[in-house]
Amino acid sequence: MDYKYPEGSIVALLNTDLVTDITKKVLIERGQEKDYQPLFFTLPDFECLTIVCDCLMAQNSNNRMVTMAHAIDTRLNCKTGNGWRYNNMPSDDEMYREGLKGINKTANLLYNKKFIDLPKNHQLKVLGAVQKGLGDGFEWDQLQQQQFFEEMLAEVTEVFFSHPLVQDEMGYAGMADAKGWEKIRLNEREEREPIGIKIETRN
Amino acid sequence: MRTYKNDEIIDAVVIGTGAGGAPLLARLAKAGLKVVALEAGKNWSPKIDFATDEREQNKLFWNFERLSGGGDPIGFGKNNSGIGVGGSTLHYTAYTPRPQPHSFELYSYFGVGNNWPIGYTDLEPYFEELEQFLGISGPSPYPWGPARKKGYPLPPLPLNGPAQLMQRGCNIMGIKTSPAANAALSADYFQEQIGWRKACTNRGFCQAGCSTGAKASMDVTYIPYAIYYGAEVRAECMATAFEKNSEGEITGVVYKKYGNEERQLCRNVFICAGAIETPRLLLMNNLANSSGQVGKNFLAHVGLQVWGEFDENVRPYKGIPGGLISEDMVLPTDVNFSSGYLIQSIGVMPVTYATQLARAGKMWGEELRKKMRSFNQVAGINMHGECLSSEKNYLELSDEEDEMGLPKPRILFTAGENEKKMSDHGEKVMRQIWKEAGAKNLLSYHRKAHTLGTCRMGNNREEAVVNKDGNSYDVPNLFICDGSVFATSLSVNPALTIMALSLRTADLFLQKKQTGAHS
Repeated sequence: MDYKYPEGSIVALLNTDLVTDITKKVLIERGQEKDYQPLFFTLPDFECLTIVCDCLMAQNSNNRMVTMAHAIDTRLNCKTGNGWRYNNMPSDDEMYREGLKGINKTANLLYNKKFIDLPKNHQLKVLGAVQKGLGDGFEWDQLQQQQFFEEMLAEVTEVFFSHPLVQDEMGYAGMADAKGWEKIRLNEREEREPIGIKIETRN
Repeated sequence: MRTYKNDEIIDAVVIGTGAGGAPLLARLAKAGLKVVALEAGKNWSPKIDFATDEREQNKLFWNFERLSGGGDPIGFGKNNSGIGVGGSTLHYTAYTPRPQPHSFELYSYFGVGNNWPIGYTDLEPYFEELEQFLGISGPSPYPWGPARKKGYPLPPLPLNGPAQLMQRGCNIMGIKTSPAANAALSADYFQEQIGWRKACTNRGFCQAGCSTGAKASMDVTYIPYAIYYGAEVRAECMATAFEKNSEGEITGVVYKKYGNEERQLCRNVFICAGAIETPRLLLMNNLANSSGQVGKNFLAHVGLQVWGEFDENVRPYKGIPGGLISEDMVLPTDVNFSSGYLIQSIGVMPVTYATQLARAGKMWGEELRKKMRSFNQVAGINMHGECLSSEKNYLELSDEEDEMGLPKPRILFTAGENEKKMSDHGEKVMRQIWKEAGAKNLLSYHRKAHTLGTCRMGNNREEAVVNKDGNSYDVPNLFICDGSVFATSLSVNPALTIMALSLRTADLFLQKKQTGAHS
């Protein structure tokens, strides 16, 4: 199943009175790209994380909608967390640093290059190996690679899908609730909710 | 708001302002007692502060780090732990089914788990009082459980897409369903000393904070009620220690406010900080633990969710998430496990759903992007099932410190055979419901819901932390009231039961105070 929504239909709602003031503030601010210098990561690590994030959310430098690495760097610099971590995992700081080392090591052992210098299909292969726990490198003796992948993916996913441009792509109008919803049953739609066109796919 | 000085010996300090703390705070204040509630989090103004945005609303969750281990580690934070005036009710979904009587006598019924030292009839008057006070919306008569003296004060909230779809599948399978009981208002409702609360506008963002006040979280119900009757609520105050006299009674509560240490003198203490923070606080202070049971018997509901995609437009972000319920499986026959579970339809917010696809579905890249473009077609069902206590499941203090210099708790959890069999049964039933309803691309998400059981109540001081009145066996002027006192998990969402225990704990305390048993 796949759907396509008219581009810009959700973003256009953000400046209307259909969105509460605080929601408007949060989403508009989030949607603004800013110059960013990493505060937590070294520049090489930050560049590597940026590309890893792009791979995880099927972006590249030409069509990048969200720079997830900014949010991760900001969070780690502020030392805030999500309330828990796996008992067998190190702190988030160490997890990201060691995990990025591991990704580069796996890239090096497989292709003799740094992760960011690999073509996209090889980058995806490296990440796929880490997800399955098959990445090579002694770094992964110290860090459970599947859990690292899951934790990183969960954070990247949260940042990506809370971005207004991505919500636009999904035709998600939930933020436009300042006046509440009356038409909530199956196939009911309020005017501000965009109509998706179903694209036939093989599954 | 009335305020008290730290060096004034007040009647009671209540630690925590959620479902366990707020009702008893109100009850004690109304009885004329001098009471102060300490709340670790902020006091929000929902209309101004609560955005319709999941990431922004992460501020409602207990985000101090906990360590999670065992065979089936539990996710904390947004999964089950709140902070702020109102506690976890700020993010609860306001499902308010009553537990059924047999759930309190699990051992007698099935020969597994425990019995509570109290039963359904002890809590029944409080369930009724809460339903009327909070303005719970639900069907009358309610199709399951004992007959009730009073129906719900408001009719059920409207069914949304996921609820209609679950109803369709269940009808085909012959499973009885009903609109659920929910503590969000289906019509404007007047509350004594609070005023009119407006009806729910179907925002669907209950789990990320209700910005309209329609959901009966404690910050818009019992907290203002308590303040009206003279209680003081101190936000951003984290209780860390206790002072005691030579008889072992608590004489003061030490807390941190903006980094400074302060101390409130008091005659009694009620710890209502939830099933993680309550045992953590006790263990940090080596308090009330002669039984060695503090932190033991950690319980978390079997909480499997099954998602499906439909050709119909569902737009699952509208309406209360859990519009429809079935309790047909709460006491099932011909099954290979003890006790049972209920099932509820679920709507969902996009980030929550995407994160589940990532964690459980292991999706990323184009696969995840494409899947999320079908978000408007998605509906879910979830189960809430009994969890039996086990020696393997407990909380302890780690040797890592958090931001405040306090030891981080470590929680170990491994699902037992009974939970696995029940989860498998629920998964099969829910997948069948979705197939009958026309769902495609089903995805199961194994999760555990709620934190319970770490300071359980019981009749035997060697096996329990508190007695049937919620009073510590070791410290005469210490009471515990939250999900930690649960002797079994009960196979329902726990908030209503926690609130009922809260009112009951307060009433019993007040009765004994009148007879001179408490100072």
